[in-house]
Amino acid sequence: MIEARGITRTYQTYGAFTGARTVHALRGVDFTLPDGGAVSFIGESGCGKTTLGKILTGLESFDGGELVVDGVELSGLKPHQRAKYFRRIQMIHQDPYSALNPTRTIASILGDPLRMRAKETGADATTRRERAAELLTLVGLEPDAVLPKYPHQLSGGQRQRVVVARALTVDPTVLIADEAVSMIDVSMRLGILSLLRDLRARLGISLVFITHDVATARYVGDDGELHVIYRGEVVERGLTDEVILAPVHPYTQCLLSAVPIMRGLEEPGPDRTAPTAALDERAVTPGCLFQPRCPFAQDQCAEKHPVLVPLGDGAGDGSGAGDGAGFAGGEASEHLHACFYPEARRVVGVEVGAASA
Amino acid sequence: MSEVQVRGLTVEYQTSAGWLPAVADASLDLRAGEITGLVGESGSGKSTLALSLLNAVPAPGRIAAGTIEVAGVGDLTRLGGKQLRKARGGAIGYVFQASQNSLNPLKTIGKQLLDLGRSHEVSDLRGLIARALDLANRMGLDGKRVLDSYQHELSGGMRQRVGIVFALVLNAKVLILDEPTTALDMLSQASVLEIVRKVHDENQLSTLIITHDIGAISEIADRLAVMYGGRIVEDGPLLDVLRRPTHPYTKALIGATARITGDIDAARALPGRPPDLTTVARVGCVFRDRCPFAVAVCAEVEPPLEAWKVGAEEQIGRRRACHVDPSTVLSGTPGTPAAVGEPA
Repeated sequence: MIEARGITRTYQTYGAFTGARTVHALRGVDFTLPDGGAVSFIGESGCGKTTLGKILTGLESFDGGELVVDGVELSGLKPHQRAKYFRRIQMIHQDPYSALNPTRTIASILGDPLRMRAKETGADATTRRERAAELLTLVGLEPDAVLPKYPHQLSGGQRQRVVVARALTVDPTVLIADEAVSMIDVSMRLGILSLLRDLRARLGISLVFITHDVATARYVGDDGELHVIYRGEVVERGLTDEVILAPVHPYTQCLLSAVPIMRGLEEPGPDRTAPTAALDERAVTPGCLFQPRCPFAQDQCAEKHPVLVPLGDGAGDGSGAGDGAGFAGGEASEHLHACFYPEARRVVGVEVGAASA
Repeated sequence: MSEVQVRGLTVEYQTSAGWLPAVADASLDLRAGEITGLVGESGSGKSTLALSLLNAVPAPGRIAAGTIEVAGVGDLTRLGGKQLRKARGGAIGYVFQASQNSLNPLKTIGKQLLDLGRSHEVSDLRGLIARALDLANRMGLDGKRVLDSYQHELSGGMRQRVGIVFALVLNAKVLILDEPTTALDMLSQASVLEIVRKVHDENQLSTLIITHDIGAISEIADRLAVMYGGRIVEDGPLLDVLRRPTHPYTKALIGATARITGDIDAARALPGRPPDLTTVARVGCVFRDRCPFAVAVCAEVEPPLEAWKVGAEEQIGRRRACHVDPSTVLSGTPGTPAAVGEPA
C-alpha cells in the first residue's frame, strides 16, 4: 500500500544570462495504490510523470508532501532505514536497449541483485541459480537458452522481459513501469502488457504505469485508476475506462483525440479536439494551467485556479454527455476533475459496426 | 502515374555467413499525390529499403539486383558521384530516423540550411532561406526564431518539422520519412502526422512513411505495404487492406495493436519473434513459423507477390504473397498458435 499526499518537486535552474528560473515538476500529486492495484499516469513529455516515477523508487527527492508506504512516512526516516522500503518498489526502465549492461550475460545481470537479496534471506548459490531460472520462466523466457546470452543476442521484447525479471529479483511488491513499452515494436507490446497484468494476478504485485500512450494503459488490468497529469498537476482521475469513454477535462480530451484512428475499423469520435497552442512550460498563469492551450477556455479560467473536485459537484455537470457516457453519473465521487466547465465529450475512435450492433 | 518505381530490388549485407538479403525482390510504386505507408517489425528490412531509395545503403551492404526509376532522374541504382548527390535531397527528400537527433548541435538551424544550399550549389541562397521560412511558417513554426535556434532549443516535434523543412526546401517531389513519430508523445505525433498530410497535399508529393506502428499510419496513408523478413507480403489501398487483410501477418499485426476501445482480450501479441538476417527462412514462406494458417507447401515454395483475384475478376490494386486462400485468412483462425508470447 502506497499513499502519496501532495507530493511537490521544484527544480531551480540558474542560467548565465537568464537568471534563476523555477520549474515546477510536480505541484501536489495525491494517489493511493492499494496492494495488488494499478494506477496509470498519462501525460505528454515534460509533464512530470517521470519525476514522479523516480520519487517513488527513491531515485529522486521530493520537497513537499508525504510518501507513506505501509503506514510509514518515508521522509522522516534516515536513508538506511528507508532502503528496505524502496527495495520493495522496483522500476522497469523505458529503454530495454540501454537498461542492460552489454558486456554482461543475462546470468550475471540477474545474479548480482539476487546476491544482494541473499544477504537478507540467506539464500545459497544453488537457490540463487534456481531463482534466476524460475524468474525467467515466470516472464516467459526459456532459462537455459537465455542465461548464457548477452543482451544484444535478444530481441527488444525479450530484453524487456529480462528487465522485468531483474526487477523481480529483490521480491518487490510494487513495480513502477515508466514508458515500459514505448521503445519496443508494436507487435511485441501486448506481450509485455499481458505479462504485467499476469504478474498482478499471480504474484499480487501492484503496478504504477506511466505512459503517454493511453491505449496501453487499458491493458495492464481491470480496476485500474487513470490519472491525467499536466504540468505537474493531476487534472482528471477516475477508473480507466470511465475516463477514456467520458473524459470531462479538455486536456484529457485533447490527449485522447491524439490517439490515432484505425481508419476502416474505427471512426473518429464526434467531438475530437486539439490544443490550440504548443506546450510552453514557462507560461505563468494565475488561473488554470491549461487555459493558454484550451480550446474551450472562458474568462474565469484565466483568473482562478481550479482544483480537483468530484464530478457532479460543480456547475455544468456532464450535461453534454452522450448516451455512451451513461454510467459517468453513477459513482460520482470516483471521477475527479479540475475544470470549471466539465463536459463529457466523446473523442476516442468508435469501432465501425459497434454503433449499429 | 508513378514518381518512383522500384522493381525486383534486392539488397544484401555481407555477414560471416556470406551475402544475405535484407530486402528480397521488392517491387513498389510511389504514386504522385499518394501517401504510402510501409509497415513492418524491426529487422523486416523496411529501413534498408528506404535507404536504397537514396542508393545509400551503408557498407557492408549493396544493391544486388533491381532498378529504382525516379521520374526526371532515371535509374538511381546506376547513378554515382555528383549526379547521385544531386538526386539525394534534390529529387528525393529524406527525413531520417530519429531526425530530432540528426541535427548538428554546434550550428544554428539557419547555418545548417545554408550548408545544405551550398552543397547543392544553390545560387540563390536568399531564395532558399525565404522558401525555408515559408515552409516552416506553414508547419506552424515561428520560422525566423527556428532558423536562429540551436537544436537543443527546439522540442522533439519541432525538430521533426525542421527535418521535413530540410527535406523539402530543394523542391523534392518525393518525400521519405523513416519512423517520423517514434520517440514523440501522442500530442506531437498527432500534429506531425497532420503536418505531413498538409505538406503532402499542398505540394502534390509522393510520400513514403516507414513505421512499425500500423495504428499511426492508418490515420493518414492512402496505400499500405506490409513488409516481413525482407519481403513485401501484402499491399493495396489502405482502407481495403485494414478492413480485409488477406495475409496472415497483416491480420496478426492489426490484431496485435493496442486499441483505445473494444475488447481488451480480443487483442493478442504475435507469437514468436521477428526473424533477422541470419534466421530468416531461405526456402518457402518467411512467415510460416509464426503463421496459424501454414500448410505443407509453405515450407517448400516461397509464395510470389501476386495480384489478388476473386474468380476471374482482379481486385483493384491488391497484391498478396500467400499460398493460403484469401477467404480462409479472412474468415477465421484455424488452430491458433500454441504459445502466445515469446519462447526463446
